[in-house]
Amino acid sequence: MNPILVLGGGPAGLSAAAELAALGAEALLVEREAYLGGNPKRWHYSLLAPDLRPAEEILGPLLGRVEGSPKVERRLSTTLTKSERLEKGFRVTLKTADTVETREVSAVVLATGFDHFDSRRKFEYGYGRYPDVIDFKELEGMIHDDKVVRPSDGRAPKRIAWILCVGSRDIQVGNPWCCRLGCVVSIKQAVEIRQKHPEIDAWVYYMDIRTYGLWEDLYWKSMQEYGVKFIRGRIGQVTLAEGGAQLLATGEDTILSRPTEVPFDMIVLASGMEPGTGTKEAAGLFGLPVGPEGFLTPRLSDMNPVDSGSPGVYFAGAATGPKAIPDAVTEGMGAALRAFQYARE
Amino acid sequence: MPIVEKSLVEVDRTEKLEIDGIDVSGEWNTFLRSRVQAHLDVRVSDWVKGQPQGETISRCWQCGTCTAGCCMHTDYGLTEFNPRYFIYLAQVGYEEELRKYATTVWRCVSCNKCVERCPKGVKVEEVIHTIGSYLELTGAAPESPADRFDRAYASNLLERGILDEAALFRTYERLEGRKTPARDLMRMGLALLRSGRLHTGPFAHRTRGWKKMGRVLRENLEADERRRRALAVRAAPPNGGRP
Repeated sequence: MNPILVLGGGPAGLSAAAELAALGAEALLVEREAYLGGNPKRWHYSLLAPDLRPAEEILGPLLGRVEGSPKVERRLSTTLTKSERLEKGFRVTLKTADTVETREVSAVVLATGFDHFDSRRKFEYGYGRYPDVIDFKELEGMIHDDKVVRPSDGRAPKRIAWILCVGSRDIQVGNPWCCRLGCVVSIKQAVEIRQKHPEIDAWVYYMDIRTYGLWEDLYWKSMQEYGVKFIRGRIGQVTLAEGGAQLLATGEDTILSRPTEVPFDMIVLASGMEPGTGTKEAAGLFGLPVGPEGFLTPRLSDMNPVDSGSPGVYFAGAATGPKAIPDAVTEGMGAALRAFQYARE
Repeated sequence: MPIVEKSLVEVDRTEKLEIDGIDVSGEWNTFLRSRVQAHLDVRVSDWVKGQPQGETISRCWQCGTCTAGCCMHTDYGLTEFNPRYFIYLAQVGYEEELRKYATTVWRCVSCNKCVERCPKGVKVEEVIHTIGSYLELTGAAPESPADRFDRAYASNLLERGILDEAALFRTYERLEGRKTPARDLMRMGLALLRSGRLHTGPFAHRTRGWKKMGRVLRENLEADERRRRALAVRAAPPNGGRP
C-alpha cells in the first residue's frame, strides 16, 4: 500500500497523520512552512478556549505522536504542485526550494486550513497605519510572552478595546460568514489580561456574542469574575485621539442610541478566518468544488463532513470552514479512518 | 457647538446663554451639547459591584426581561424608568448619561418581578437602588426644597434632641434664601403659640442627656459626609471634560 498523503501540518493534519500511523498505515505529511503546528504555532497562540489550557499542552502530544513515529514521513517547506489521478490513488509532485520529486500515494487528506483575515483590508480601523491597532493573533503572542505593551511606545496599556467581526459577517470585504472563534478568543484574551493585569480595563464591542455551546461559560465568567465590559455596537472607524497618544474608536452604542467617541490605549481586531492559500490551491489541483465562501465543500456536510465526493480525497479541519481545534482534531481522525479504508480496499 | 432652533432638539441638550444674569438664548441661538458620548470608565461599575447589594450587576447581558415586566415601566407607564438601561449605563461606564436619572432611579417600588425573572440572577431591584445610592452620594441629584427642609430639621434635632419649631422655620428660611414678612410671622406665631402647637424660646423642651446622644449621631453623620465627599472626588467629570 502506497503512503497516504496528508496535506497540511496544523492540528487537523497532525491528528490525521498520527491516526494513520496508529492504524499501521504510512503517512506522508506535507507542510508548506518550515515547522509543524499550523496557525496556532505560527502566531504563538497562548491559552486555548474553552479550558484555558496552553496551546503547547494540546499541540505537544500531537506533535510528539507524529514526530516520534517511523510511519510518518514529514516533508517541511514543501508544496504540492501537481496531482494526477491513477487507477488507485494519485501521482503527486512535491516541490521544495531546490528539489522536485514525484510520489505515488494511495489516498489524500486535505488539511489545508485557514488564513487569518488581513485586517488592513478594513482600512477604516487603521490596522497597519496606527501601531497600537493590533490584530488579535498578534495579541496571542504578546499574552503568550507576557508582554502586553503598546507597540508604539512600549508602555503598558490601561484601556483596551476589542472589535469583533473584523473581516467576518461583512459583505464589504466579501466575507459574509461568521468566523465562530472571534468572540470566544477575544473574550478569552480579555480574561487572560484581566487575570494577570487587573489594572487594565477591557471593553468588547460586539454585534452579537456567539460563544456557542459550552463556551457560554467563559463569556459569563468574563463579566462576572473578570469585569470585562460588553458594548453593543460596531465601531465605524478608528482615528488618533487629540495629541496622538491614544486611539479614538468612533461608533454607535446601539443600546444607548447615541454616537460614541471613546479613547483607548490599544485596539484589538478580532480578524476572521478565510480559506487558506493551500485550500485554494488544493481545490484546483484535485478538481474539487468550492463554496461561494471559497472553502472546500464536503459532498454531504451533515452525514460525512470529511468526504470530498471525489474518490480517495478527504477533508479535515478548517479547509471546509472556520473550525475550532477540537473539531479539527476530530475531523483529522475521521478523515484518517476514511482514507485508510479507501486505500486498503 | 452648533446653533439651531431650540424646539428641534431634546430638552436636556440645550444650554442657556446668560449675559449679565439675563437669559438671552430664546428660541434661536441656542447652544447645544454634543450627543457624542466620549466618556467611558469603570468607576461606577466598580463601586456598585463593590457593594453587597450591587455585586450582581456584572452578570447583566442586556436581555431586557427586567424592563419588560417592570410595573413602573409598563403598568405605571414611566418609560423613563428602565432598569435594563440604568444597569447598562452603570455597568459599561457612561456616568454622564446615568446622572440624568439621579431622581428617576428611585421610582422603583420593589415589586421584585425583575429579580424573579432575570435569567442571569441579577438582583435587579438591589442593583438599581445601589446605583441610586451612588448617584446620591456623588451629588448627581439637585437638592430639592424637601431636601433642604430635611437638612434644617436634622440640624435642629441634632442641637437639642427635640424640635423647636420657630428655630426650624428660621433655619429653613435661611436655606431657601427667602424671608417671610415680620407681620405675617407674628400673626402665625401667636396663633400657633395660643393653640399650643409651637414650642420655642423659654417654652421649648430639651431632651435630657442629649449632649452624649447628639455627639454619637453627629459622629455618624460626619462619617457619612466623609464618604460622600470621597465619592464625589471619584465621580467622573461630565463628558470626559470635553465640551
